[in-house]
Amino acid sequence: MHELSLAQGLIDQLTDLVRYHKATRVVTVRVDIGTMAGIVTDSFAFGFDAVKTTTDCIREANLEIKEVAGDDLVLAQVVME
Amino acid sequence: MCDACGCHINDDATGKIVEIHQSLLAANIEQAEKNRKHIEAMGAVAINMISSPGSGKTTLLEHTIEHIGDKIRIGVIEGDIETERDADRIRAKGVPVVQLTTGGACHLDAPLVHKGLHQLENLSDGKFDIIFIENVGNLVCPASFDLGEHNRILLLSVPEGSDKPAKYPTTFNGAQALIISKTDLLPYFDFSLEEATREALRLNPELTILQLSATKGTGMEDWIVYLDSVLGGG
Repeated sequence: MHELSLAQGLIDQLTDLVRYHKATRVVTVRVDIGTMAGIVTDSFAFGFDAVKTTTDCIREANLEIKEVAGDDLVLAQVVME
Repeated sequence: MCDACGCHINDDATGKIVEIHQSLLAANIEQAEKNRKHIEAMGAVAINMISSPGSGKTTLLEHTIEHIGDKIRIGVIEGDIETERDADRIRAKGVPVVQLTTGGACHLDAPLVHKGLHQLENLSDGKFDIIFIENVGNLVCPASFDLGEHNRILLLSVPEGSDKPAKYPTTFNGAQALIISKTDLLPYFDFSLEEATREALRLNPELTILQLSATKGTGMEDWIVYLDSVLGGG
């Protein structure tokens, strides 16, 4: 699976959320990764950390990954300031 | 986030928590379903062709058009990182074709194919029996992206080696047919038809396996029969 492009997609979604909620930045991102989703958790975390630096309102965000049953990748919760 | 040390220990207390619960994989799946319906509205079935670079996808399409292009209305969507070379080859066969260039992405995805479908409609009467989608040459990534196709066909050419099904299980698992191509080169390579077939069927017992040489014509009749079955005929 495409961890890096998925991370980029996540960051795009987070940028929209910051704008929508008129926040300054994202501080925590909570993501559920299904064990059957075909996504390598470390690669996803690595991709997120690499790409987040390009966006000011995301660059300090902490990614928390929970491995869950199933085959989906879900953005569960976002904490913003 | 703590301004003193930058830690995230108190984020939930100091920040605004927003529940989202949205799938990040859903976007491609939803567009793929729309593509599928769009293709059906055009009267067609779509075939996603996946293989490593150079396995013979475009050559097979050229010869397929020569065999049945006057009986079956064929449209082609070509996917490459750069250039229009494959579309140029198909255009020379007189078939409506669109070239999608990803500019860097190693696979087609449903949103890109959606654009391609509209472009294909714009340059034709929009009525097809088969739309071939020739994916970017890559044996890994295209397997993860539903484009809206009705049928997924892999090509594995003789020079690539018969160990590839075992090494790329996700790709071989997700297809309906496997074409072992360039069979005219069997005398020159250590390709075991038995190994490739056995390993592919172990992963995917429902797989239809064909062997052909598009340039020499061997096996093309079986391929045409298979296409006929995909069209619901025969």
